[in-house]
Amino acid sequence: MNESASGSGAHIRQINRADRLKAWSRHHRQLFRSTLITLLNQPGALLITWLVIGIALSLPILLSLALREISEADTRQVIQPAMSVYLSVPSESETAQALLQSLRASSAVGEVRLITEQAALMEFSSLAGFGDVLNAFSENPLPGIIEVVPNERDGAGIKLLAQQIAGQDGVDQVSFDAAWLERLSAILGILERVLYALGVLFSGAVIFTIGNTLRLTIENQRAEIEITKLFGGSDSFVQRPFIYRGFWLGFGGALLAFLIIQASLMYLSGPVERLAQSYRSNFALEALDFGESIGLFALGALLGILGSWVSVWRYLKQIQPK
Amino acid sequence: MLVFDHVSKRYPNGYDALSDVSLSVDAGEFVFLTGPSGAGKSTLLKLINGVERSSQGQVHIAGQNITRLPARKIPTLRQSIGVVFQNHQLLFDRRVYDNVALPLLIAGMKPTDIGRRVRAALSKVGLTGREDDWPETLSGGEQQRVGIARAVVHRPPILLADEPTGNLDPDLSREIMSLFLQFSQLGVTVLIATHDLELVEAMPARRVQLQDGRMIAR
Ligand SMILES: Nc1ncnc2c1ncn2[C@@H]1O[C@H](COP(=O)(O)OP(=O)(O)OP(=O)(O)O)[C@@H](O)[C@H]1O
Ligand SMILES: [Mg+2]
Repeated sequence: MNESASGSGAHIRQINRADRLKAWSRHHRQLFRSTLITLLNQPGALLITWLVIGIALSLPILLSLALREISEADTRQVIQPAMSVYLSVPSESETAQALLQSLRASSAVGEVRLITEQAALMEFSSLAGFGDVLNAFSENPLPGIIEVVPNERDGAGIKLLAQQIAGQDGVDQVSFDAAWLERLSAILGILERVLYALGVLFSGAVIFTIGNTLRLTIENQRAEIEITKLFGGSDSFVQRPFIYRGFWLGFGGALLAFLIIQASLMYLSGPVERLAQSYRSNFALEALDFGESIGLFALGALLGILGSWVSVWRYLKQIQPK
Repeated sequence: MLVFDHVSKRYPNGYDALSDVSLSVDAGEFVFLTGPSGAGKSTLLKLINGVERSSQGQVHIAGQNITRLPARKIPTLRQSIGVVFQNHQLLFDRRVYDNVALPLLIAGMKPTDIGRRVRAALSKVGLTGREDDWPETLSGGEQQRVGIARAVVHRPPILLADEPTGNLDPDLSREIMSLFLQFSQLGVTVLIATHDLELVEAMPARRVQLQDGRMIAR
């Protein structure tokens, strides 16, 4: 610290750059702790703010997790049951076996599974009520079926594949619900946009909440701010504690959002798994992984700092000692 | 150290608080600023630490013309000025220590140095060992002295005081004034605005008299 000696203090104090940098970083380190401690001194108010931010952050994230799982490739079978290729020939016949071979060899096809007439019969009769119906037949009326899971993702490509398979020897007909698939992907597209809009809106809400909370704090600290400026505190010196408060509000809000998300996923996991099993799928809502959690915390902190910046800067500039 | 060169101040409402004031104060000088209420004493002090700006004329501090100092340079100017202002009292949600430490925090001093300086300043105003008290548990005079400790803790070359003895009994007032006198003997330039003519007469100090914004004695 380079002070002007009082005796010859005939010049305005100058502090060299290195000392200023040291003081600057000391102030930051000190504020990092002290602002959190100050906030924790009012746990009720803090918790409410964190909760509001946490809910605002968790809603769009939960929706996006659900959407991601639904549209993800390996879970598509949940809503895109494999094509069923009904055979016009017995499944042991050479024609059927050749068809099976060529499907297995095809690059457009992922999984291929043969359900023989007997297997189809057993599955069908295990469904309540149908056993009696089948007993009315003297022989097995069901055809063999080849279940085909296409590699193709989009509706038009799958349709093309279905037509191509339908034209082959030994195939009676191919069934899959093309219209439903197209409708679904359209809905997913809309949902994705809605989600982006929600994300922007809720981020705005977080920024607004933090900005507003900080404004109230500033109003309560008016006297302190005026005195600080009177003794030579610069605008950024005065603003710094509010930036750190914003950081903690956003970061804590993200922490709460994390807890809300994980709790919601746990709460939903049972029903979702049951639903998935009914589709013979391993669809499951997955929790946030490590990287995503870090991302969430960073997002919260960033929104907090942003909220502080946009709302506090001009406001603090206006407060001047009189 | 301080030069006012034909300075006038007109407030936005059109009121002329100072008219054509010229004044020069040397480093280490001790100056009383007197005059009836509304004479412009507070206004003159505010022109020194950049709370107000002159409408006409130039204000120089330590050789620097601060008349049109850009806003971003005002903080540096203020860091070299200690103030005891009427309407800037203590922060009542902070302990005495934190109140006094504020100018040192702004200057970016190390915490260990801050502790030493704060205790030294408090002992100078006769409040040794009171750093952990809350301001509201202190008497009016003690609070005033905390304010003075805060104004000198960073050893500014200039000290401005606006009615520093407003709440004090005559004995304490004299004590505070002699404290200010001591600071000036250490080289601090001291400007004190006051109504307390009795006290001013009793002190061996220069007296600048204002009336209706004009200087009638220097
Ligand atoms: N911000 C302002 N806007 C308009 N007029 C003001 C403002 N501040 C002060 N004045 C006027 O300027 C004149 C001088 O005010 P100032 O505060 O400098 O007087 P003073 O000598 O300090 O008086 P006192 O002894 O009562 O403190 C007063 O008439 C006051 O009304
Ligand atoms: Mg006054």
